[in-house]
Amino acid sequence: MTGKFNLFFRVLKKRPDFMLGYIIVFLIIIIAIFAPLFAPFDPIKSDAKNYLKAPQWPYLMGTDATGMDVFSRVLYAPRVDLAIALLGTLLSAVLGVILGAIAGFYDGSGKVAGFGSAFIMRSADVVQAFPVFVFAIAVVAVLGQSIQSLVMAIAFVNAPIYLRLMRSQCLSIRRMRYVEAAYLAGTSDIKIILAHVIPNSIAPLLAQLSVNIGWAILLTSALSFIGAGVEAPTPEWGSMISMGFQNIVTGHWWPSIFPGLALAVTVLGFALVGSSIEILADPVRTRKLLLS
Amino acid sequence: MKIDDLTRRTFLNKSIAMSSMALVPNLMSQAALAGGHAGTMVIAAPATPQSLDCEYDVSLGTFEAVAALYDGLVEFEKMPDASVPTAQREDTAYYADKVGGVNMKGKLAESWELQPDAKRIVFKLREGVMSNWGNELTAEDVKWTWDRKFGLAAIGGFYTKVSGLSRPEDVRVEGKYTISFNLDNPNPLILKIHPNLYNPIYDSTKCKEVATDDDPWAKGFIENDSAGFGPYRLESMARGQQAVFAAREDYWQGKPAIDRIIFKEVPTSASRVQLLQGGAVDIAQYLQPLEIKGLKGVPNVAVETVPASFMIWIELNAKMAPFDNVDIRRAMNYAFPMEDVMSSVYQGLASPLDGCMPNIYPGFIGGSPYSYDPAKAKELLAKAGFSDGFESTLSYNAGDPVQEPIAILYQSALREIGVNLNLEKVPAGSFYNAVSQREKAMIFYVDSPWCPDPGYSMTLYFDSESFVNYSNYVNSEVDGLLKIAAETADEGVRLDAMGKAQEIVMDEAPWTFVAYPNYTMARNSNLNGWTYYTSNNIRFQDFDKS
Repeated sequence: MTGKFNLFFRVLKKRPDFMLGYIIVFLIIIIAIFAPLFAPFDPIKSDAKNYLKAPQWPYLMGTDATGMDVFSRVLYAPRVDLAIALLGTLLSAVLGVILGAIAGFYDGSGKVAGFGSAFIMRSADVVQAFPVFVFAIAVVAVLGQSIQSLVMAIAFVNAPIYLRLMRSQCLSIRRMRYVEAAYLAGTSDIKIILAHVIPNSIAPLLAQLSVNIGWAILLTSALSFIGAGVEAPTPEWGSMISMGFQNIVTGHWWPSIFPGLALAVTVLGFALVGSSIEILADPVRTRKLLLS
Repeated sequence: MKIDDLTRRTFLNKSIAMSSMALVPNLMSQAALAGGHAGTMVIAAPATPQSLDCEYDVSLGTFEAVAALYDGLVEFEKMPDASVPTAQREDTAYYADKVGGVNMKGKLAESWELQPDAKRIVFKLREGVMSNWGNELTAEDVKWTWDRKFGLAAIGGFYTKVSGLSRPEDVRVEGKYTISFNLDNPNPLILKIHPNLYNPIYDSTKCKEVATDDDPWAKGFIENDSAGFGPYRLESMARGQQAVFAAREDYWQGKPAIDRIIFKEVPTSASRVQLLQGGAVDIAQYLQPLEIKGLKGVPNVAVETVPASFMIWIELNAKMAPFDNVDIRRAMNYAFPMEDVMSSVYQGLASPLDGCMPNIYPGFIGGSPYSYDPAKAKELLAKAGFSDGFESTLSYNAGDPVQEPIAILYQSALREIGVNLNLEKVPAGSFYNAVSQREKAMIFYVDSPWCPDPGYSMTLYFDSESFVNYSNYVNSEVDGLLKIAAETADEGVRLDAMGKAQEIVMDEAPWTFVAYPNYTMARNSNLNGWTYYTSNNIRFQDFDKS
């Protein structure tokens, strides 16, 4: 374990941008947990007498059109965005891993199993044929506007990614000697999948998780921007950008710009973390980086 | 320039210059259209007309189109606006010494005779008035127009009912240029209903030409083209982009001053502001209060606001608990943060809705019993058995930028009295359906009764059988008072009945009363002639350029 930590820090030393990514993600998580301690105002309390105040003390990022403090809302927003993104991405990963393992393990098998594998893959093709955003809007429209439906929308649109990753891993791992040995020893398919296939396929999925969390935050914000996400005045970056957007032309830029910056930095952080995991999970790439 | 010489700064500067040059011709041609050609007026609007048939469409673009393409029989006389000297407005006051109590002048009708019992009116049409298809106006055109209203019974069905007409035979051709309207009962709106924007007269000769057995009322034609006696004809229409109207040389009142109108769809108000500021358009419609405020003082831009017939309110569904309880509805009004909404959302460009009909109309009594009083609101909740408060949902239109901030301010204020309000954002495209289904507990509505009459306004929203009574409000005493006002031409009796009805409605609060938003004209400062109409639209023919 000490060796793995050393390796980790050596990689970060070589790539300071990865270090930045980890710092950003760590800070966002801290902010999400401790927002009530950091935020100077109630994020959903309007105060019409202080509407559209420019950034100044005590409104560090100014106030919006209803007098709500932008800084407090920016701090509270990760609670919503992260929660939705994490839940949605984890759900998509679980769904994708299970279906991908089945599709990969039984690919090319006998009638029923083979048909099942093909059916899963063709269903994934259909889902991925739709533009992601349009599909997400359709899911929210069917399920109704709520946090649960946002989670489901993210889970549906991202599941095929994990499904394909898992399937491609399965296709190679199922031919490994230890899997053959387990099969010959009479181990059931389910146990082989759970004990051998999935654990040995997980590394690339972890890298994808981090990148997907960033994209899920972006998707949540995009849905909220068009009014299909969280209900007002829940602090959420996308809906804050949408509410403040109409004020930009009148010179009141802060209600949109600050949540926009926070969103951009957060997605960047998760993308950098994802890139670092991708390298760390591949010993060849890790060695190449350390020797460069 | 060699590649080696291409620094990042040089690249960026040259790229920006090239991009700007690409944009300049487009902007210049727009500006030329707006300012250089005196014969063209460019309007930036939220939407182009979806349909030109006023039997079915009530979208903003359709109002402007109908006003340009068609004329009605009569119109109100105009007078200077008290607050904006450069603007005119309709004189909708009551005049006891004038026919029908109204100050009107003829349009397609040159004269009229109203029977004292208000059961019959005879219009004498102008002779020699030609349509855009070269057909002369006759009484047959008026007859066909009203027969169409009976036949299709859509929006026209409302007008036949409110006019007191019972059957198509009530509209009679008395001569080539003489038409009469005959009622079973006296109706005070027998004259006043005719200036209404949605009572235009069609060229029936052309309409009959294009009608088919499947489409006897020429719906397909009227939806996409015009057959009327108005000052403009439709030159082209690309829905979602722009509609172009051309002035008619043979218009009976003389060719309008502006030859060509380009009515462009610019969905975002921020973009409409920028186009006006840049001189690319002559008028930017439906701007937000902050944007209007920001335009004041901009060179070459004039911004004027006048009191209007608009009202905005929140329907409290009287068929859904707890709003079936009158004390709850009163509490909701005492908890409404009126001052905050007026100052922060409307920027002073609205006044509190202290009545249940437009305050610019004759017969308005005003004097709301409600003021922001959370303590009083809590007292009423307790009286109604809701001392712990309750939870409800307020639905608002995603397409109206003032509704969300009002909803948020209201939510905050209601939290203080223990009412937990969820906010539901409804897409603009489905908002009207949500209102008309009457299944939401609380929902915003913005409207203006076009006919400047207390009976018309009150009947529209508070008659228990009115299709626009979206709050499901039922009060038999109010229904009785509305019936009295509908069946007498005695203005004193009517005003008395409508005054009582207003008092009852304000007391029983079927709405949370929000605001009277002003109507704003944001225009190029070289554009003259603006008139405010109670239908809250512009008439292209009023304008000229200095």
